[in-house]
Amino acid sequence: MSAGCESAPIIQTRSLVREFKDTLAVAALDLEVQRGELFGLVGPDGAGKTTTLRLLSGLLDVTSGSACVAGFDLSTQAEKIKPKIGYMAQRFSLYGELSVQENLAFFSELYDVPRGEVKQRQARLLQFAGLTEFKDRRANDLSGGMQKKLALACTLIHEPPILLLDEPTTGVDPISRREFWDILTELHLSGTTILISTPYMDEADRCSMVGLMYSGKLVVSAEPKAIRARIDSDLIELRPDNWDSARKILQEIEGVREVQTYGETLHVLVDSAERRLPKIEEALHKRNIGYRGLREMPLRMEEAFISLIRKMEN
Amino acid sequence: MSFRHLLAIIRKETQHILRDRSTFILVLITPTIVLLLMAYALTVDIQHVPIAVLDYDRSQTSRAFIREITAGDDLDLYAQISSLTEIEDLLVRGAIKAAVVIGPKFGQEMQTLRGIPLQVIIDGTEPETGGFAVDHLSLRAEAFIGDRLAGRFHEFGLDANALQPIDLRVRTWYNPSLKARVDLIPGLISIVLGFPALSVALTLAHEREHGTMEQLMATPVGRAELLIGKMIPYILVGLLNTIFIPILAILWFKIPFNGNFLLFLFLAALFLFSILSMGIIIGVFIRTQAAALALSFLLIFFPGFFLTGIFFPIVSMPEEVRLEALALPGTHFAIITRGIFLLGSGLDVLWPYAVALVGLGLGFVAIAALFFRKKLA
Repeated sequence: MSAGCESAPIIQTRSLVREFKDTLAVAALDLEVQRGELFGLVGPDGAGKTTTLRLLSGLLDVTSGSACVAGFDLSTQAEKIKPKIGYMAQRFSLYGELSVQENLAFFSELYDVPRGEVKQRQARLLQFAGLTEFKDRRANDLSGGMQKKLALACTLIHEPPILLLDEPTTGVDPISRREFWDILTELHLSGTTILISTPYMDEADRCSMVGLMYSGKLVVSAEPKAIRARIDSDLIELRPDNWDSARKILQEIEGVREVQTYGETLHVLVDSAERRLPKIEEALHKRNIGYRGLREMPLRMEEAFISLIRKMEN
Repeated sequence: MSFRHLLAIIRKETQHILRDRSTFILVLITPTIVLLLMAYALTVDIQHVPIAVLDYDRSQTSRAFIREITAGDDLDLYAQISSLTEIEDLLVRGAIKAAVVIGPKFGQEMQTLRGIPLQVIIDGTEPETGGFAVDHLSLRAEAFIGDRLAGRFHEFGLDANALQPIDLRVRTWYNPSLKARVDLIPGLISIVLGFPALSVALTLAHEREHGTMEQLMATPVGRAELLIGKMIPYILVGLLNTIFIPILAILWFKIPFNGNFLLFLFLAALFLFSILSMGIIIGVFIRTQAAALALSFLLIFFPGFFLTGIFFPIVSMPEEVRLEALALPGTHFAIITRGIFLLGSGLDVLWPYAVALVGLGLGFVAIAALFFRKKLA
């Protein structure tokens, strides 16, 4: 089996299945991640993203199917895979009573970082994560964003060729999120293969590849541009006064494929913005519904994502 | 096994013990406090038993007798009464546990060597206390009467001792004052050293609850490195207790220590190894601290009390229970502590128990290692 893995992509799963008591968390997953990709795993809650990442990290037994990670067979060589990956769990999972530096030191030892390099790598990662001045602070006393950066630093200490990150930016403020992604981009540029799950569509847009999971399966796997192109629609945005009836009216108009709500704003997916924009204006005028900001918008990952999920649900 | 990984786990766990307040208290302070509490609460030394005396004689002799029996800490004279009905009243109210009735011719009969009229009434609802009062009274009465008799015999030019056909003298060895604490405390040590075992079970569950176990499992650390690295700091902490607790027992409770202290430390280390292995097993199977706590009490502390022979002699247990008792490290260590403290036993006598501790420990570790997998579910 391992012979098959040597020539396989750096991450490859074939009909990978993981069953819990009464649920199929991962159902026949076929995922391929090429070396050096920054692969974003998106999908609604419960789609199986966390289970997939845990499986690939060797933290769960495979129910059936097979997977290759870093040239090793996941079912039989999980311990050989572990030095090759940096895994970051969704929850903060470092030692709160230990300081930033002590956490880094602990993982340096467990990952067998060459003794001569430990100090230098720690210093560089602290710098990299912007934690140098907090190195003596206990991990419990760090802000959420700093904890995430420390966790990332700990997974990077052995310079793994593969990073598996489970929603690393969930619950982090926008500035920390941006900083975190700057670090990821740097790692991506330096050649690290990154598989990251995220609930944020703007983050998916920053990936080189995006995979959409639904009900334990990979529904789409393509470049962000290609995914957006799949939704063969134009996007029209508007802020109606009467949000609820506007939505109903818009859904009736010919050529309108989908209406998505974003707070007070409606996003209308149509076959052609040029043809449908006047029709929308006309329909709203006829019913005396006021509106602001009616305009065509470039289609984002978010609309594409919602549209794809809706198709799955129907 | 990577020595580097092992050291890293040991260092991390030591930092955890020193910095996490609840762990620190549990492993370093609780054993001593629990020992103190239990030694006081569970002591069956009976002292200051209140009694009433109904003295019909009111002679010099009877007054001397009352002074004699109430001297010391054992019996306290609650009241001198004048009628039998008062006795019942006092017993029912619980004011006294026993009453002594001195007959009207007590002093006189003592002179004439006829039957000496003396009655003792005890509260049968507390048989131990009552029994103690009777034992004490008869002992004191015999001594008192013996003294008087010896004087009378002497008057007649006779040797009192020569008249006694049997000279039965019961002597208790090793615990001459028959104080329960003396044999209880060495046994209790084996219970309070269960706290490090509880703690190691909790720390594994803690790591699962806080997600750090997930992170650890994602690293190349070995299973044995993880389990052994977790045990070692708790063994060391347990040994700290092992040094401190006997000092407390000796200085505070005045327990004799007749054996070799280094031997005691060595055997305590073996005991800690085997009891911590039980803690590790619990930690391997249980995922939450609450459940680990409950199971530790069920598997470590309750059997520690009831099955290890500290309170209830193992010889009186049914065969199956006796086998279960032998599978508990506490049973062997209770024998070891009593042996070393009270008998001054050496390894020549205690070696089977040492072997049992090592065997049990290795068995438990093997079970733990067999079932501990680096998987989340």
